[in-house]
Amino acid sequence: MTDLTPNSQEPVNPDIGFVSGGGLEANLQVRLTVPAQEVQSGAFVVMDSGYWRFYGLVTDLQLGAVDLQYANQLNINRFNPELANLLNQQTLFTNLSVMSALMLERGPEPGTDEHTAWLEKRNYQMPKLMPSKTIPNHHTKVRLADIGDIQDIFGKESKTVFRIGETREQGHPVCLDLEKFVQRSSGIFGATGSGKSFLARMILAGLVHADTASTLIFDMHNEYGIDSTDPQKGTSVPGLKGKFSSKVKLVALGRNTTLKGKNPDFTLEIAYSDITPEDILLLSQALNLTDTTSATLDALYSDFGKNWFRTFMEMKTGAGSTFTNDDGKQEAREDSVAFWAKAANINEIAATTLHSKLRRLYNRDYLVNETGTDVLKSLIDHLENKQHVVLSFGKYESDLDYLLVTNLITRKIRDAWEKATDRFHSKVQNASEPQPLVIVVEEAHKLLNPEMASQTIFSIIARELRKYYVTLLIIDQRPSQIYDEVMSQLGTRISASLGDEDDINAVLSGQASRAALRGMLAKLQPSEEVLMTGWSVKMPIVIRSRRYDQTFWSDLFGVSETKEEKLTLDQLNREMGFFE
Amino acid sequence: MKEMRTIPIGKLLRADNRQFVAGCRVKELETPALGALVKVILQDKSEVYGLITRISINDDGLVRQLASGVSIPPEYTADNRQNRNLPVEIEVLTVGFAREGHLFHQLPPRPPLSLDLLYLCDDDELVRFSKHGKNQAYLRHILRLTDMPVEEVLISHLSQARRAHEATGNHSWYREACERLIILLRDDYTRLSTILDALSAME
Repeated sequence: MTDLTPNSQEPVNPDIGFVSGGGLEANLQVRLTVPAQEVQSGAFVVMDSGYWRFYGLVTDLQLGAVDLQYANQLNINRFNPELANLLNQQTLFTNLSVMSALMLERGPEPGTDEHTAWLEKRNYQMPKLMPSKTIPNHHTKVRLADIGDIQDIFGKESKTVFRIGETREQGHPVCLDLEKFVQRSSGIFGATGSGKSFLARMILAGLVHADTASTLIFDMHNEYGIDSTDPQKGTSVPGLKGKFSSKVKLVALGRNTTLKGKNPDFTLEIAYSDITPEDILLLSQALNLTDTTSATLDALYSDFGKNWFRTFMEMKTGAGSTFTNDDGKQEAREDSVAFWAKAANINEIAATTLHSKLRRLYNRDYLVNETGTDVLKSLIDHLENKQHVVLSFGKYESDLDYLLVTNLITRKIRDAWEKATDRFHSKVQNASEPQPLVIVVEEAHKLLNPEMASQTIFSIIARELRKYYVTLLIIDQRPSQIYDEVMSQLGTRISASLGDEDDINAVLSGQASRAALRGMLAKLQPSEEVLMTGWSVKMPIVIRSRRYDQTFWSDLFGVSETKEEKLTLDQLNREMGFFE
Repeated sequence: MKEMRTIPIGKLLRADNRQFVAGCRVKELETPALGALVKVILQDKSEVYGLITRISINDDGLVRQLASGVSIPPEYTADNRQNRNLPVEIEVLTVGFAREGHLFHQLPPRPPLSLDLLYLCDDDELVRFSKHGKNQAYLRHILRLTDMPVEEVLISHLSQARRAHEATGNHSWYREACERLIILLRDDYTRLSTILDALSAME
């Protein structure tokens, strides 16, 4: 008969305490029976009570005493050392607050008649983890989670179950289910210097390796695609292109752009005709556009259609835009902004001002009249064919470029995916299920702040969940500046240390037990620890994150490949008779 | 030591389940001490154990007269001590009993009877009684004392028991007994502090 009990082996960790009080909402109180320094906030603990196993998180530690008088004076000063020590042991204690997150029905001892009857009653259905709905009994023993418990909750490492770090207390591996991770939009957060970028690199490497979805990475600061240098240590930091050369396409913005002297796989240019008025409105802040911009843009689009941008920029302003008519008066030339504005009943000054401001865009090398090849289509094709694209911005690192390019490209990609999804659901012949796609966006607060969120395609994608097989992975250091509605749609949140109270609140918004998690998040060790919570993480957990170093790459490529290779060799050897 | 156990040091005057009082001659006063473990063997061969909590020498009419005199010849003093009308009283707190070879740290089902003989337990018996069972349960009886400084009885008894255990190589008994006391009294800060003060001063 299949063993339907949890996969964990017999507990190997000794007890650290026992349940002494508390409740489901108020957290359990656990009397610690080991020195306080052996347990930290965020520790993952397990409690077995009756037929149930409870999994919890230590959220607080408090010192206590049977009588405050024992605590308020040094007993060693009054009694002899041995007596004082005995007295301290019996009258001073530490309590843990434990947030019970999950519970699992384990049933009676396997192999017993009771166990058989219990299985029959359940129709041999495997018990599933569920959020805690009840509590363990008084005096239930509490222990730190061992490796079996961790695997029960977070899974065993495989190609799609990515080892993201380890428990702080005992170094047991903790994994992230990447198949679940990409089912919702997610976020990676952390203050500057908290190790967020390395964390993002590691997770992106896992995603590319696992192939649970294609990824399109908007690499604003040229950190992810090509090899770079750690600014603090001066060591080389591998990029995704170097490690996944066939899977990852490195795209650079602008013709002839090179990235640290190396040629990308291809360069990206954007045709003027791809720019919509909405793309321009998104840049209101960056271009310091006025309130009249919207009306002007509408009129331009109405008159010129998708060629509005080129036509508008080719109009003349200033001295060359007028001529002296027969009456001796200055009159606007037909190819001038003023002429068009008058004809379109648009304020001339408004139109001229807009023309002047848009010149910053018009002069960009990557914006062209016509692209030689349909690079955007090529980019989409790569993503549809399960490859990954890193769009490096090269020298175009300004907010203006980032906002325009990311929004424009994402809009087109989403449109393509929407069409593919509609074809698939309509059961059009040969229409296959769209390839899941994760769009990785840095500096997300520039695109998703409350003022701009409603205008960008990103908030639409976040709200759509995975309707069209597209999700976001936002990487940001100021989550408090991201629109609440977008934050609430994020499934998994992985956060390195954050110093700002508002940022901490933003990461935890909509999360159960956020009050308990806030303390943990505020005390994360920079560059070492992260808090994982949300959709693809069955319960919140604080971990020591994996290092993004040579060992990481050896392990990543060794997990799925080396083992399989060894099995094949063993089998071959047996077939050839080299083993008895 | 075995000879000491077979020589009675007193005879029972009065008793109840919780305590009993024995009378002894002045000559027998040399051996019992505050906190010492003693026992009474009943007619059914069961034994009632106790700790000495008080030793009293009461006055009588003759002593009062002699005491008011100007000088007392030594032979008068000796005679009065040796041939007292009233015995020296030894009060004993019951802390357990034994029946058919089994020890119990509980109060006996019945008290001893008057004129039952009181014996002083030797070190072997002290060790056997005090280490019986778990957690030195008999110590709780001492904490019931109300008309006697508890810490004084405890100090006396614990020091005697500690010496007896350490003579057998057991150096943990005293620590365990102190721990037991702390557990029993930790909700009473004042009382526990007083006892621990006294124990600390003893060492």
